[in-house]
Amino acid sequence: RGLAKPAGPRSVRQLREAEEATPVFQYAGKAAKRKDRVFVWGFCYSGALGVPSFVKPDVGWKKPRRIQPTPYRLETEEKVGPGAAAVLSRQGTVSTGDPPLSVPVNLGRFLLSALKDGYEYVLEPSPIPLPLEKPQQTRVLQVSCGRAHSLILTDSEGVFTMGNNSYGQCGRKVVEDETYSESHLIHQLKEFDSRVVQVVCGQDHSLFRTKKGTVYACGWGADGQTGLGHYNITSVPTKLRGDIAGVNIIQVSSYGDCCLAVSDEGDVFGWGNSEYLQFASVTETTQVNVPRHLPFKIGKIKEAACGGTGNIVLTEEGNVFVWGYGILGKGPNLTETAVPEMIPPSLFGWSDFNPDIRVAHVRCGLSQFAALTNRGELFVWGKNLRGCLGTGRMEDQYFPWRVTVPGEVVDVACGVDHMVSMVKSFT
Amino acid sequence: PRGGGAQGRHCRPTPTLVSVTVRGPRFRRLKIGAGHRLDVKASGVFVLGIGHGNKLLTDLYNCHLTKVYTVGGLFGKATDDFSDTGKLVEKTTFDHITREKLERILAVIQGTNHKALLMHSNIDMKTQEAYELAVKGLIRPMGKSPPIITAIRCLQLALPEFQLEIHCLHETQQYLRKIVHEIGLELKSSAVCTQVRRIRDGVFTVDDALLRTQWNLQSIQNAIWDCQLKVKRELEKTLG
Repeated sequence: RGLAKPAGPRSVRQLREAEEATPVFQYAGKAAKRKDRVFVWGFCYSGALGVPSFVKPDVGWKKPRRIQPTPYRLETEEKVGPGAAAVLSRQGTVSTGDPPLSVPVNLGRFLLSALKDGYEYVLEPSPIPLPLEKPQQTRVLQVSCGRAHSLILTDSEGVFTMGNNSYGQCGRKVVEDETYSESHLIHQLKEFDSRVVQVVCGQDHSLFRTKKGTVYACGWGADGQTGLGHYNITSVPTKLRGDIAGVNIIQVSSYGDCCLAVSDEGDVFGWGNSEYLQFASVTETTQVNVPRHLPFKIGKIKEAACGGTGNIVLTEEGNVFVWGYGILGKGPNLTETAVPEMIPPSLFGWSDFNPDIRVAHVRCGLSQFAALTNRGELFVWGKNLRGCLGTGRMEDQYFPWRVTVPGEVVDVACGVDHMVSMVKSFT
Repeated sequence: PRGGGAQGRHCRPTPTLVSVTVRGPRFRRLKIGAGHRLDVKASGVFVLGIGHGNKLLTDLYNCHLTKVYTVGGLFGKATDDFSDTGKLVEKTTFDHITREKLERILAVIQGTNHKALLMHSNIDMKTQEAYELAVKGLIRPMGKSPPIITAIRCLQLALPEFQLEIHCLHETQQYLRKIVHEIGLELKSSAVCTQVRRIRDGVFTVDDALLRTQWNLQSIQNAIWDCQLKVKRELEKTLG
């Protein structure tokens, strides 16, 4: 006979021994770093999301997807750098990455490309070779896209422009009857008074902000968006005067035909289209072609963003003010205002339980607004064009609504019908 | 001894039997109803209604007030029923967890639950009225809904133990244990729940609650008397 005892209920000592003997798994070490991720959502058929299988499915069971209503992770082979900012255009997405030689670019429709073969739709992030003198050292700092042109800012070699130049928005002389659709002409701009630190594209014009705080503009000017005192096109970047002469500007923003600039003392200046009451507080005219100071008594302004018909500013205390026309974010009753209205902080998660939530950044799309809090949450509101808000529903959103993203949102950029966000994972 | 019997009570003591006659109402049957459930492994405030108070219990249920729990957890273990008395499934390391990472996860949980709060409240988001209520923070589901956490924060973190304070609606204690388990997973480790204690149920807090030693008639009467005003005011405010 054997000496084995029958198996009864295990005693506490046996359980404790079994527990101590189990192996311990390690999923993350002490030095585990947070990963950078990119999430996209919105209209897919323009290829702006960078996922080819949405338009042309690679596997039989997948169906083409017209709209991606919730954030979808974009997998890129190259690491998207920590300082990368994704800036969107009308129908294309351009993002900067680590390799300075090529700019991983995902172009959508109408963005007349600088690629060799001249694609009409580019469905995946593809690199663009820039004619750099020192390709190993120069880094791409920022990218901006307009309706049909884009600007690329590098740290030591000036600004590169490409795309449509029919109004001089690329900063070079307008050539009559030039075809832009398969052109891969990249023009380099170096003649500014100091190093350019920010480039902004409006619909058909370009703005450059230099380190000294001056602003240069070129391109279409029929609404006064070049701010040079006339309504003609300009094909050479020219310095702006008016109320911003001598003022140190720290941020410029534009999207459609309206432009805003923020000075280091917290004042905001505007020029361009005012058909939607953007500058109705200072003038009755619908076009302002010289920068004017907007005397709003809302506190020191930290950041401003222009949308197609509405504008949004962020003050030092973390309050958000909106004005203009459209869905401004204060319910369905407020559709237009010439004077900035504050959006209550309780809509961004502020409460007695969390008193230190502040809005850190504001961004604008064509008819949408986005706000990022210091906790890494993203709030969107505005017209939900083809699912661009990312809420999961197709209805317009009349007050700030949270977008559920699996990570801490670091930056977001809005296009016409899609959005791209840079996200850091939690752990 | 016999004789000299006074009117009323008769008391005839014998060595084996004493019979006493008593006057007054008799407590034969007492209707006691329970408020929100509290399971066996949890502790804390448990609301009961006596007699006519049962009707108030239904009204309090329809007010949909939040409950506050103190939940204690332990990192490093994962069990099948999410508490420390269950069968061990896995052991993991937890030395990479910092307070900052935990706060980030809690902020996200709060954010998604706030969104669920707005969605289950059955108010049309396109109206001006919805906007006004959202600004004041008064939107809450007034009917059936899945469990929602309205606020969550970390009271202390001393690896491997931690303690959270959770304000929630329509929840069960097992759901709170599951949340602790999921926090562990999100932090790339694992966690079990060691303690669930309800410290507030609507208007009743731990200070109003009676301890085991105070389960006698006088204390119960005093407690009911003290809470009456609070309950009436809350019912008027919410149900109108």
